[in-house]
Amino acid sequence: MNERSFIFVPEMRTRDEHKETAIREQAMEMIVNEGFDGLSMQKLAKAANISPATIYIYYKNREDLLNQLFIEVHKTFSDLALKGFDPELSLEEGLWLQWKNRLRFIMEYPTYFQFFEQFRNSPLINHKDLKIAEFKENMKLFVINAIKRGEMSKMEPEIFWSLAYGSFYSLVKFHLQEKSMMGNDFKITDAKMKQVLKMVIKALKP
Amino acid sequence: MNNIFIFKTNIQTQEDQGRVSVVLDSHDLINSWSVDKEDIDCVLRIVSDRITAEEIIFHINQVGYNCTELE
Repeated sequence: MNERSFIFVPEMRTRDEHKETAIREQAMEMIVNEGFDGLSMQKLAKAANISPATIYIYYKNREDLLNQLFIEVHKTFSDLALKGFDPELSLEEGLWLQWKNRLRFIMEYPTYFQFFEQFRNSPLINHKDLKIAEFKENMKLFVINAIKRGEMSKMEPEIFWSLAYGSFYSLVKFHLQEKSMMGNDFKITDAKMKQVLKMVIKALKP
Repeated sequence: MNNIFIFKTNIQTQEDQGRVSVVLDSHDLINSWSVDKEDIDCVLRIVSDRITAEEIIFHINQVGYNCTELE
């Protein structure tokens, strides 16, 4: 009979992309449904059917997890929002493209959108660590060009956003709720967006 | 290739963390480390190329804290 020797190989903890994605999706769902406070590494491990130790391979702690999720979501948003976009586009063309692209993001990634809305302005997110510069640069240049061309006057960013994007997101909210503030059924359409955009462009004109 | 080690400890406070930092910061083989004091297992996470779990456990025990590999 042969003597066999058994060699113990200590389990090496290495990263696995599939696991990482699975954890991320589970975490995102939990945060969107139960909030950040409801999230714990143990709860997440149970829900994802893995050991807590596995989660710690990828994330130092809850804040790290949240920030990495935000980076992933912002990247997806930014890539979609900037598709075909050029800061040289006219105000009307540029805004139309932004609205269409962002609507696509919201339809294709509903959970990402909910997460984004919740944490966009959260103090838990370390904004200076995030690589959101490219997106912000594009938006800034776009506005500068529009002002140069006389399509809009100089104004505080929040004022501009309220008109240029706040109007769009209001339509989106009605669509997601399927009802408007009137209690009427509501569905967003190109025609409705075009109608609002035409008035926004008029409103922004100097 | 970086290995990541995960331990359950009783490093609970900022002071506790301060004490282990003395030993972990000065160790040549440790690239980076962190403690999740918020977590019930006070998880110690260590990134290193060549260290062993036994070494880490030894050092943490030496400064007076529990340290076992987290399952």
